[in-house]
Amino acid sequence: MTRRPGFLVYGLLTAFLIGSAAPLYWSFLLGSHTKEIAAQGVPPLLPGGHFWSNAERAIATIPFWKALGNSLLVSTVTACSVVFFCTLAGYAFAKLRFRGRGPLLVFVIATMAVPTQLGVVPLFILMSEFGWTGTLTSVIIPWLVTAFGVFFMRQYLVDAVPDELVEAARMDGCSQIRIFWHVAAPAARPAAAILWLFTFMQVWTDFFWPLIALPNSNPTIQVALNQLQSGFFKDYSLVLAGTTLATIPLLVLFVLAGRQLVSGIMQGAVKG
Amino acid sequence: MSNSTASRGGGTQTVPPTREGSPTASGPAGRAPRPEWRQRLTRLDVRLSPYLYISPFFLLFLVVGMFPLAYTAWVSVHEWSLIGGKGEFVGLDNFREVLGNPYFTKQLVNTISIFLLSSVPQIVIAVVLAALLDNQLRGRTFWRMSILLPFVVSPVAIAIIFGSLYGDRYGLINELLGHVGIDPIGWHTERFASHVAVATMVNWRWTGYNALILLAAMQAVPRELYESAAIDGAGRVRQFASITLPMIRPTMIFVVITSTIGGLQIFAEPRLFDETNARNGGSDRQFGTITMLIYDFGWQLRDLGRASATAWLLFVVICVFGIANFLLIRRVGALGGER
Amino acid sequence: MQTPKTRRFRLASSALLALTLATTAAACGGGDDDSSGSSADGVTTITVATFNEFGYEGLIDEWNESHDDIKVEQVKVGTWDDAKANLYTKLAAGSGLSDIEAIEGDAMPAILAEEGAFEDLTDEELDGRWLPWVEEKTLNADGQMIGYATDIGPEGICYRADLFKKAGLPTDREEVAGLMETWDDYFALGEEFVKKVPDTAWYDSSGGLAQAMLNQVENPFESDDNTVEVENAELEAVWADVTGNIDKGLSTTLPQWSDDWTASFQNDGFATMACPGWMLGVVEGNAEGVEGWDIANVFPGGGGNWGGSFLTVPSQGDNIEEAKEVAAWLTAPEQQVKAFAAKGTFPSQVEALESDEVTSATNAFFNDAPTGEILAERAQAVTVQPYKGPKYSDILQAFQAAVLRVDDGSQDAAESWDQFLTDVEALG
Repeated sequence: MTRRPGFLVYGLLTAFLIGSAAPLYWSFLLGSHTKEIAAQGVPPLLPGGHFWSNAERAIATIPFWKALGNSLLVSTVTACSVVFFCTLAGYAFAKLRFRGRGPLLVFVIATMAVPTQLGVVPLFILMSEFGWTGTLTSVIIPWLVTAFGVFFMRQYLVDAVPDELVEAARMDGCSQIRIFWHVAAPAARPAAAILWLFTFMQVWTDFFWPLIALPNSNPTIQVALNQLQSGFFKDYSLVLAGTTLATIPLLVLFVLAGRQLVSGIMQGAVKG
Repeated sequence: MSNSTASRGGGTQTVPPTREGSPTASGPAGRAPRPEWRQRLTRLDVRLSPYLYISPFFLLFLVVGMFPLAYTAWVSVHEWSLIGGKGEFVGLDNFREVLGNPYFTKQLVNTISIFLLSSVPQIVIAVVLAALLDNQLRGRTFWRMSILLPFVVSPVAIAIIFGSLYGDRYGLINELLGHVGIDPIGWHTERFASHVAVATMVNWRWTGYNALILLAAMQAVPRELYESAAIDGAGRVRQFASITLPMIRPTMIFVVITSTIGGLQIFAEPRLFDETNARNGGSDRQFGTITMLIYDFGWQLRDLGRASATAWLLFVVICVFGIANFLLIRRVGALGGER
Repeated sequence: MQTPKTRRFRLASSALLALTLATTAAACGGGDDDSSGSSADGVTTITVATFNEFGYEGLIDEWNESHDDIKVEQVKVGTWDDAKANLYTKLAAGSGLSDIEAIEGDAMPAILAEEGAFEDLTDEELDGRWLPWVEEKTLNADGQMIGYATDIGPEGICYRADLFKKAGLPTDREEVAGLMETWDDYFALGEEFVKKVPDTAWYDSSGGLAQAMLNQVENPFESDDNTVEVENAELEAVWADVTGNIDKGLSTTLPQWSDDWTASFQNDGFATMACPGWMLGVVEGNAEGVEGWDIANVFPGGGGNWGGSFLTVPSQGDNIEEAKEVAAWLTAPEQQVKAFAAKGTFPSQVEALESDEVTSATNAFFNDAPTGEILAERAQAVTVQPYKGPKYSDILQAFQAAVLRVDDGSQDAAESWDQFLTDVEALG
């Protein structure tokens, strides 16, 4: 589609942008006013001048920086691991022939359908058997490879890597891992970038398991933010200043990763 | 579950005609002869590599996934108190009890209703959005990243924001409706309205994400296809229907199946939306879902037996929907593919 | 392939990695991931898990300054809901709990029923430390003391003097107290009030009122031998009162603790509410900036206690003796007096109730009311202690949901009562 998009496209996108950004702006608004104003529900349209004082209170109430660091570490490690292992497995399912491929893939998908709420108890038992409870390991290990990621990469690579390219590489005597590295991995980059970002966000927003698995002195950011709600009443301005502050590193990350993501997607377009 | 057809339907066998038929023979036939050991090594490489590549998933599953599954299966056929532990073996009694519980039926209906209200618009909008983004936009990065904004908002903030948006009495939406003369809507009390409210939260959070996934697939569609279609005089809508949609089918299948699974397991949003003490999804469980019932059995009533039985029943429901979805999309896809 | 882009990609990813490493290095500086115990240098760390507000921050600092061998660390979770999920999961898993776990009052009976999960904290030296009816709540069937009581919630009536004035009612707290001796008086006054001020309800929520009233019923849900008996006259009377008031406009009909309920503090949503000691902090926080709140030294139908928490020591912990010591210290009268001064959690200890710091306390937000004196008198007025069996909290939730169904109009009272009966039966 080479034609430049018109007014309508930008209009629709802008509408969508406003919808996406409004709640974020709203939490910033509430976080920037005093608690009396925040408690009244719908705030004035313009930010007040109390964001930093509220944010400072939030930082003083919870182990903010430590939690932020923990979340960054856990999310980054998990995201990198998921991308690597899932691309590998997705590629195998998409492009390599082996006995049991179909049933195994169905099995992978089926594991996603198992409700996870109950898994918490046995998982905790397991983690304490291994001696991992209370450490960041316990929130990283379970998500090192996800069925979601395997399935996603498989579906993407099925069409994104032409069979003849794989075949040609093999004719040339390339080993399997070289084919993966030089043919599949570059083609997988757009999807890998997306998977990276999603896994990162998924782990970042996860609440229940980190709450259970980690000691409160060493929490992830969501668990720490939840502590802001303790006390006799919900101090909206405090809670929302804290949550807004915690999204700033993510926005920075988005800007950094965003360019990569887009160029990655564009490269995908060159292939075919 | 029927087996290997599932994986093939994804695309390898039914690839669009741009691809040449995949070579059937594998192995280095017709090449110059190589030393025996190398050949054997290559064969070993070809045979073992796939298993090696998929092994991390299965290893991890063995270590951390298998035990919880076996545990819940074991628990579901016992009387089992969350704190007190295992009681006597009761066979399928827990399953029978859950199936006979009026809340199970009600919350199953709620789950499906919320699932339909969220997944269908979500996927439709995501496809449109992805198509819009699959353009030569000015400030591409900006637009693409912007659709992920809902994703960075913390669940704590989401609960507060949507709480004040959908407040039955002092909420923003009802206030706005009041200005145009519409009676306030009981977002937390009327069953359908509450489903709409919860679905909005879900859609707000996940549409952009699905759009980005679809966008990646759209970008991988070779541009020559569009050019030649344009030469043939196909309009943009027609190009989209006859080239884009069929070409992104594997990703489409992925999106549909994962949102089915995710939609039927919906928990976070209705729970965040709930303001009653019991947190079962409204005073009369107007928007209580199956996963919330699992939580209720397990953590409120401390009856792990019934909770596990419910979890397995939900698993069956998800599989039924998943397979139905898959079959459906395969048919639709096949029709779309005829050019 | 596409080298410049690849390089940029590498650059960005290494920048990301560096950022992560830097922050985590800073974050891991503390290096205290041992949640459960003693470190090499002979110092034992005791973790205390609390929720909502216990007022313990200053106390823990005080302990840590004066003790070298045992260090106390507070583990805070936002709400009892999350704390409960954590507690039950780890009880089920058999490990991972804090050395001391705080338990919400109404959940205590269920905890007492779990044999062997919690330590017996009985200690002769502590005889007579707590009010007798408080102590009773901590004893299991074998007479072992499973928890040390922290605070209690003796109930008074909080009211908006400014709105009372608007309705032509007396505003002085003693006069107001005289008008609410019985529930009938209280409701009659309410009807008078809503006639004059129709946009404002009389009390904050039907569920809150129901809970307050239940605290005066001897056997609300269960008989003394733990048989569930919800079809009793007293419970039916509470039900009739609470649901009957809805049509008269006395209730806001909002679920207690919901966003709408919170907002109603700022919107003149209601004029009175049942106020256990800890509720003062809730009102003050939610109604910040609203003037006119006061508290009357009265509770319709006699005294009542709502809530109050307990510290327990799970048997799965490694440092049980030290944990007992810390729990006993935290719940000693001197300490609870300080917690009261810091956050207003009203003490359950006899000596603390008699101390000057408590009895002379006043609260500026509530028109300088002598809250210490009022609440101490309210605690004295508690005569009936409802019997709460192991299912109390589960049935209470079903009951409140039933009240809410009538509140929000999704069912009429008869329908909702029937469903409540089915719900209770389904508890098994």
